[in-house]
Order: sequence, then structure tokens, then C-alpha cells
Amino acid sequence: MGSDYEYSDDDGEYYDDEEMFDGTQDEDDSGDDVDMDNFGDDFKVAAKGKRKSYEVEYESLSQQAVEKLMQRDVDHICGIFGVDIKKLRGSKADTANLLLRYMGWNKERLIEKYMDNATSVLVAAGVTASEPVSPPAAPVRTHSIPAPNSSTPRRATTRGSKLLSLASGSKSAKSPPSTPNPLQRQLSKKADEAFVCQICFNDAPDLQTLSLSCEHAFCTECWTDYIVSKIRDESEHSIRCMAEGCALVAPDHFIRDVLIPEPGAPVGDPAKEELNSKTWSRLQELFARHFVGCNSSLKYCPYPSCTNTVSCPSAASKSSLTTIVPTVSCGARGIGGSAQDVSQSQHFSLGLQGKEHKFCFGCDIEGDHRPVICGVAKMWLRKCRDDSETANWIKSNTKECSACQSTIEKNGGCNHMTCKKCKHEFCWVCMGPWSEHGTAWYSCNRFDEKTGVDARDAQSKSRASLERYLHYYNRWANHEQSAKLSLDLYAKTEKKMEEMQITSALTWIEVQFMKKAVEEVDKCRMTLKWTYAMAYYLAKGNEKELFEDNQRDLEKAVEDLSELLESPIEADQIPTLRQQVTNKTVYVQKRNEIVLEDTANGFLEDRWRWNVSVPGFDDPEDA
Amino acid sequence: MDARLRRVNKEISGTDLIPYPQNMRLIDVEDCKNDKTSQIKIELIDESPFHLKGSFPGPEGTPYEGGHFEVDIVIPESYPFQPVKMKFITKVYHPNVSSASGAICLDILKDAWSPVLTLKSTLISLQSLLCSPEPNDPQDAEVAKHYMTSKTSFEDTATYWTQIYAGGPGPKEKKGKGVGSKDTRDEVAIAGLEKAHVDRFETLGFQRTKVIDALRRLNYRGPNVAQISDDRVVEELLK
Repeated sequence: MGSDYEYSDDDGEYYDDEEMFDGTQDEDDSGDDVDMDNFGDDFKVAAKGKRKSYEVEYESLSQQAVEKLMQRDVDHICGIFGVDIKKLRGSKADTANLLLRYMGWNKERLIEKYMDNATSVLVAAGVTASEPVSPPAAPVRTHSIPAPNSSTPRRATTRGSKLLSLASGSKSAKSPPSTPNPLQRQLSKKADEAFVCQICFNDAPDLQTLSLSCEHAFCTECWTDYIVSKIRDESEHSIRCMAEGCALVAPDHFIRDVLIPEPGAPVGDPAKEELNSKTWSRLQELFARHFVGCNSSLKYCPYPSCTNTVSCPSAASKSSLTTIVPTVSCGARGIGGSAQDVSQSQHFSLGLQGKEHKFCFGCDIEGDHRPVICGVAKMWLRKCRDDSETANWIKSNTKECSACQSTIEKNGGCNHMTCKKCKHEFCWVCMGPWSEHGTAWYSCNRFDEKTGVDARDAQSKSRASLERYLHYYNRWANHEQSAKLSLDLYAKTEKKMEEMQITSALTWIEVQFMKKAVEEVDKCRMTLKWTYAMAYYLAKGNEKELFEDNQRDLEKAVEDLSELLESPIEADQIPTLRQQVTNKTVYVQKRNEIVLEDTANGFLEDRWRWNVSVPGFDDPEDA
Repeated sequence: MDARLRRVNKEISGTDLIPYPQNMRLIDVEDCKNDKTSQIKIELIDESPFHLKGSFPGPEGTPYEGGHFEVDIVIPESYPFQPVKMKFITKVYHPNVSSASGAICLDILKDAWSPVLTLKSTLISLQSLLCSPEPNDPQDAEVAKHYMTSKTSFEDTATYWTQIYAGGPGPKEKKGKGVGSKDTRDEVAIAGLEKAHVDRFETLGFQRTKVIDALRRLNYRGPNVAQISDDRVVEELLK
């Protein structure tokens, strides 16, 4: 990350490592160099470069690239406001940064508001105090010798409490920064004698203090602790002055000066310094995250500790999510990005389980939920979370009253049931009305009685919807389970590949077909899983039948391939197996493409009809 | 010495000594500060100097006048850069204080915290919160509704709570409130309801506690009484 990233206000110079890692670790393309039976081409279904209808155009950006975008905006604003903000204090870039962060990186609005009333924008963004104070150019360092904390038994003063504005819950309305009261001014003037840090009550005579342009001075150590605590504990990128009610925000160079010691400064505690420099890089990350969060065509990679960003302008608006499934990848495994994080690429190419950082740009569902659009996928997940266990329990433990269809659990007693709700009396065994049973209290031999059959019919009808849901849910869960077990399958396959290299004359590159097949199975199971969510909500009709035909073909192909992969290896069979697996893999890949392509086209052509109301679509006709 | 400990020491004792937990000595901030007006006290609860108990009298001219309010104070690891955790030990009837847990809704205990604030200044803020409730940003929605519906009725209840839980003097002989002796707690008054209303529904055959509960939930007070039909109340009671 950006610990080595130099941020300089004056010349805007970067360490740009964008071009440094052009060679990606893409193992699958190795067929070009090795003179084999053009292995790589075996699996190529469609020519690369042509975008399929189920894919979206996106670009992966590293943190450095995002910072570049930010810098571009900052430069732009500097260019416009340059003369005006130059006279303020510090650097132009710092001020522009604060303004842009305050406005959520909305340049147009910032310019408009700034032209309207520059002072109020500057105050609200925490650049200047509401009343003009003499602007010192840099953070004020009153003393220069860092001091160990030697506390003297001097009495604590509670001047701080006098500053207290009796807060009564009005959170939004910030009281204007209090002008430094005379006492404090006095303090900073004759700081040599009697400065007491209002936070740690340290009054060592050689205390080093800092303040923003509001001149609220505190000791350096408190500033450091405060900034570290804000950044690390609260993930806050906007660091306000510590004085109560002061809305001034610390500019970047101030924080940098606090966290990163100047070269030549006396060496402090190395552990602390490392923490500080980590905090500084964390702050850079927070800035980038804030920028990404403000921009609807950017999204931060949700994978832990990944700092890449994906730019996908076509999925930026909510309405576009009804026609496309914007599955993107941040490129942390060497795929299609302009910039790579080298440590991550290496890490992920080490093992088979190094999954690429695939995620949906439009929602926060983990992984790839193609071919289903975000809205439907979310609806399905919600239903599963709420319903699946409950539905299973209801199915196995309850029956419905044949008169009013309320669900009834029989938890004891005889078979003479009386519905609590409609007072209908019926027999638990045959579901017929109790009146036909006479006095046969504990046994029912009237199974075939007409009314009993009718009652059971009604019952089965009300069960049908439950059954239907469970049908889809079980298949969905089955594929999910298989996907979870895929790690085992990867490990097993790896072993098999080693075995093959030993028992037969095949080389490492020649046994890669196994790995490729496992990856394909994994991918297709993901697709299959979501097709069940889709099918559950699809309205009956030709379109659904076609969809389910495609689904069935893919499922069949995947299961066949799975079986081949699981089959034991015999040395003389390997060439046949290899051919079969390669064939099947290509077939499965094709089937998968068909499902994805057809579904995606369906969304683009607005062909799909749902049996429930889905936001962004017309309501089902037969409501 | 640990900066946090030093700061807490300074705040509660004005000296650099670590407070001696064995003695459980009462550290009276007032003696140090010669500040007679706010009468704010901070004392230790157990061995830890980071778990304290603050107390202050209810502000004059409010329903909390005469009461003695105790606050549980926990000083977090990153104090003073993170706010102290405070909650009322004494039960308080106030829109911004949870009537069940004592949790406090106050901006300076959250995002408006500033490291220059001290325990004492925070307690003063709490005291002033009692003077000026913010029903639009409530911690306890039921109490806030009560406040918005009928301020006088709210004040009666708050006074009663002060009397019962905070040792306040009690109401200045309000008409027909039916608060007899101080020993027996009147559940109806605690819930801020009218005895006549509770009696009316009790005669319908519902349990008294249930009636109190339902009426409190429905905010059956002041002008609301006319708007809530008896059927609605019965429906709530049958839930």
C-alpha cells in the first residue's frame, strides 16, 4: 500500500507503479510458450476481447490509481480557486482536499456553493474558523525538544469545563468555534512558563505543543494519540480540532507532520513509529474509500484487506440493475486490471484456492450471482433466511384446518381436533369432519370417506406452494453446499494430478485439464445455484420452460463432469479420461455460456416475467 | 505513568496520587475546586480507578429538584480521546434517558465528544440535560411521547420518580393524585397514568398490571385519551 507513497502538495508528484507489473501471473495462458498440443486453445469457446451479453464493462483500479483520480479533482479545484484559497494558509491542495471531502467530491456543487458564499463553505468544511484568526502558515511548534512525561504535582485546572457549552442534544447544529478565551491566549503567549496541556494535564516545562490555525494548543503526544485513535478506532478521516466546539479540520500536512517524524528528528519508540506510519497509510486508504464511496460508478473491493477499486459506470444507476448483473472482479489475481498489487497477485497464484476477487457491483451479495439480477437474488436470500427452516418444520409437523386453512400443530391429546380459530371439528388422521366419526374416539377407519378425501385435497393444495418452495430451496442449497465443498475437491484433484504425473508420462502442463475442469464445475454450480432462485420467481410460461430446459442441460452436464472427476484413476485409462474430461469441460462451458447469455439477453429484451412483484418490473398480470 | 491514569487522577483528585482503593475514600471534587454551586461528586466504586460513580443533585426548578442522581462512569482504554461511558444508576423519567437501563442520549457522549471535556464537565452537561429535554431525539420513545402529549402530566410523573428513586421531596400536594405514603409505590403514578382510567379498565376484568402496561404503551394521557377508543384499548389488552 501507500506507505511509500509520497504525498506532496507542491508539485503533485507520485510514485507511479502502474506500469511496473504488466506481466500478470496468468497460469492458464501458458500454452503459448510450451509446445504442446495447443492446450490453451482446447478450452477457448469464444474469442477473447468480445464482450458477452452477460458481462459488463469495468475497470479495476489500484489505490494509487484512485489517488490519481482524487488528485485530478484536487488539481482542478486548485486551478479554479487557486488565487482565492492561496491566501488562506497551508497549501492549496490541502484546502482543496478539505473542501472536496466536505462536499462529497461533487465538484459542480462545490464550485456553485463556493461562488455563492465562499466564507460559509470554508467554515463548514473546517478550513477556517468562523471568525478570522491570524493565519500561521504551518502548525505551530512552540517548543522543539521532545520531552519525557515528567508530571509535577501541580494542581489540575479545569479551564476546559468553562468552555463547556451546555449540550442539549442538538447534534446537527454545531456551535461556532469559540474564540480562544483570554486565558488561553495568555497561556500560549507565555507558554514558556505555564503551559498545561488541557488533555493530559502534563505541565512539563519542555512540553512540545501543536495547534491548528485556531491556536488551540495541545501537547504533541495528545495530538498523536488523538489522531491515531480517530483513524484506527473510528476509521474517521476528518480529524477535527480537539478543543470543544471547534470545527476546524486538520489538513493533511498537519496530520502527516504529527505521524511521520521529519528526517533527522530524534528517534522515538520504533513500535510507536511503526504504528504511526501504519496509521498514515490507513488514512490514505480511508481517503480513497471516502472518494470511492462518494462516486456511484466506483466500488471498493469487499474482500478483506484488498485495497483495489472497481470502476463500472454502466452499473452506476439503480435502474440499470434490472437489466444487467454487474459481476466484476478487482483484478487481485491478475485479471483484466490496469494495475496490480504485486503482493496480492503472488499470494493468490500460489494455490488453487486463490480465488479471484469477484463480487457484484450492484449489491453486497458475496461472489457471483449471475444470471439473476440483484433485486431477485436479494429477495430470494431474504426468503431463504426467513423461511427455509420454518417451512421444513411446518411441513413435517403441522397440518392445515380443512375449513379455514390455519396451520395446526398437534402436540398431544386425541385425534378429535377442534380448530381454535374457526371451531371446525375434524379428525387428525383422515382430515374429514368429526361429525362423520360418531363416537369412534381414538381410531379412525373412515379414510376413504368422500369428505375426508376432499379435505385432504384442499390440504395438499395449500401444501403445494410450500412444496414448490422447498423444491427450489433444496436444489439451491445443494449447489451451495457443493460449492462449499469445492475446496476439498480442489485438494483432491491436486493430488490426482500429482498421481498422474507419476504414473503416466504426462507432464505438469498436460494434467492441467483436471484443474481447469474443477474450476469450470465450481463456476457452473454457482450459476446453477442462482438459476433456482430465478426459476422460483419466474412466472409460468414458455419462457420459463425454455429457461428450465437450459438449466437442466447444464445441470446434467455438470453432474457428468463431476462424476468423471471423482472417478478413480487407472494408468492405462488416462488418455481416454483426459479426452473425456476435456470434451466435457468444453461442453459444460458452452452450456454455462448459453444459460448466462440467454438469461442476460432476456433481461435486456425485457423477456422475463415474474410471479411476484419485482422492483423495476411490471407487476405480474394474474395477480 | 499511563497518560489515561494520570488524567483520571488529575480529574478526580487534583493530585498525582493514585487513589487508594482500600480506603474507598470519597473524593469530593468540590473541596478541591471550591465550587459550591454544582455539587458534583465523583467516587470510586471498586478497585479500578476507571470505574467510577458520579452524582449530582437534580437541577432546581425542574421535576428533578431535590433528587440525588447517581451515574455509572466507565473510562475506556482510549480515554480521553474516546468519550467516557455514562449511564444513570438512579432511575430517571426523562425523554433522553432510558427508563429501563439508564442509558443516556447525549451528543457529547457520542460524536460531539471532545478530549478537553472532563468527567466533571460531562456531569454538568448531564445535569443540564435534565433541565432541557430533547423529546425530538429520544432515548425512551414512550417517555418522549408522554412529554409531547402532556407536559404537566409528564412533570408529575418525573417528580414522582424523583421522589421514589432519587429521594426527592415529592409533589407539592397536587390535587387528587392519590399519592399516599412514600413507602407504597403507586404503579399508576410510576407509569404516568390517571388512576381513574386504570380503574375503569380494571373493572372490565383485566389485571391491573396488564392495564397499566397497555395504557402506557398506548400513551393514554392528556388529549390522547379522547382519541383512543375503548375498543382500541381492549384490543391492546387482549394481545
